[in-house]
Amino acid sequence: MIEALQFTFIQHALIAGILVSLAAGIIGSLIVVNRMVFLAGGIAHASYGGIGMAVFFGFPIFLGASAFAVLAALLVANLTLHKRHRIDTFIGLIWAVGMAIGVIFVDLTDGYNVDLMSYLFGSILAVSTQDLYFMGALLGVIVFVTTFWYRDILAVSYDSEYARLRGIHVRFFYTLILVLSALTVVIAIKVVGLILVIAMLTIPVYIAEKLSNTLWHMMILSGIISAIFTLVGLWFSYTYNLTSGASIILVSAVSLGLFLLLFGRLRK
Amino acid sequence: MPVVEIKNVSFAYEHDLILENINLEVEEKDFLAIIGPNGGGKSTLLKLMLGLLKPSSGEIRIFSKPPHKGLSKVGYVPQNTNVNTDFPIKVLEVVLMGHVGAKKPLFGYGKDEIACAMGALAQVGMQDFAQSKIGDLSGGQRQRVMIARALCAHPKILILDEPTSSIDIQGQKEIYELLKMLNQSMTVIVVSHDISIILEYANKAAHVNKRLAFHDISDKSKTFHTHGDEEHFCEIELLQMLGAESCQKCTSASSVTEGDSAASQPEKERTWRKEA
Repeated sequence: MIEALQFTFIQHALIAGILVSLAAGIIGSLIVVNRMVFLAGGIAHASYGGIGMAVFFGFPIFLGASAFAVLAALLVANLTLHKRHRIDTFIGLIWAVGMAIGVIFVDLTDGYNVDLMSYLFGSILAVSTQDLYFMGALLGVIVFVTTFWYRDILAVSYDSEYARLRGIHVRFFYTLILVLSALTVVIAIKVVGLILVIAMLTIPVYIAEKLSNTLWHMMILSGIISAIFTLVGLWFSYTYNLTSGASIILVSAVSLGLFLLLFGRLRK
Repeated sequence: MPVVEIKNVSFAYEHDLILENINLEVEEKDFLAIIGPNGGGKSTLLKLMLGLLKPSSGEIRIFSKPPHKGLSKVGYVPQNTNVNTDFPIKVLEVVLMGHVGAKKPLFGYGKDEIACAMGALAQVGMQDFAQSKIGDLSGGQRQRVMIARALCAHPKILILDEPTSSIDIQGQKEIYELLKMLNQSMTVIVVSHDISIILEYANKAAHVNKRLAFHDISDKSKTFHTHGDEEHFCEIELLQMLGAESCQKCTSASSVTEGDSAASQPEKERTWRKEA
């Protein structure tokens, strides 16, 4: 393992894993406390539409996926406000239609035979320097936004009706959380892929929630737990030649099982 | 001058008429109980007062201003404080949410804000729990914290929606004793199911079931004679009596504020205000 660290692609993989874990810890916490897990799942899958279009029109894939995911997030935010009681139906629609658009555009692209699987399940060993800049910049934005508006985001997440009474623009913060989720999903696609991203956004958060008294503790703790899972998963992936995204998720799931067993014992 | 004025207010969701021609005036330091059957429009009336909903017709004034402008003077304690108890948040942080319009620091909370929140917690006897996780408290303790959050903005009116649902009997009594104490310095408006308890503390009662029947109950011995027993009120009789749109027993409240009758009977209105 140590000798592997001299390879640039391994170094990139480790840095990407840590950056994405920290972003996923913060955003995953917000998604879980706001009960938006299904919404984030829909946005993640819809972003595949952007990947397909980026391939077809020949612009950077990150850009295509980001633009598409943000559009999906804005659409979801709008639907939650106006069609609240039918939101699950619309999420299902966005989920499937986004993916279908992606598949069709990839079909239409001449001579394109890049492995679809790398987007569905991650391709952390193919992280470029440019990708790292994008991940770092997004993490910076997320940290700044959540610090600057911490009390408003906390109020909206905990009790949105009360927040509205106290003059907080609930709709703005709700949309902001969804847009940041969309961008986090896009960078997480590189690490675990868009199918597995939901596990990365929820498993560490679930553990952290049990151990935290405040939202910001939960965010930081989730980030750290997520980073540990990612690094351990990568080690398994490298040592036994397994798919990295799936390894990370299974490490997380097994750890969650152990945690719940131990935590249950301690509580008794 | 009344602190809350509701004039000829009606409210409908789509085509369902929820409230019809409501008239109500709440005076300073009143303790108003809003009672009535489920789905009768009690919570809707509260939401109208808070400006969360807009009336279909009629007018609401809080300190002579439209509800959304008078909000800094209104403290609100919502229903269902038992939801979202997994949320990782400390008691102090919940109370700090009550601040409004104050100058906020760029990041985090100001020292004065924290001092003020601790003061509000002390008022409800919860200062020792400031650093506890909200989910670790009992229902009654959590309700006190929500009252502290409402007190944080130094309100002149405190509005509570079913403050004692899902709290044990002892806890309920404590909450009402707390409200009685707070009532010495502010107007209290409570929506509640606990008719017999709330009527012990309230001086005005409004029975809402699409329409509103108003009663001055500050002199209870005069108002209630149910089962011939003045100590114990029969809830069913009480509800029937308070729900009646013209009520004979409640003599002091002869100006039942219903429909346009209040507006056309200024004489009587003045009479009961003097008595109250």
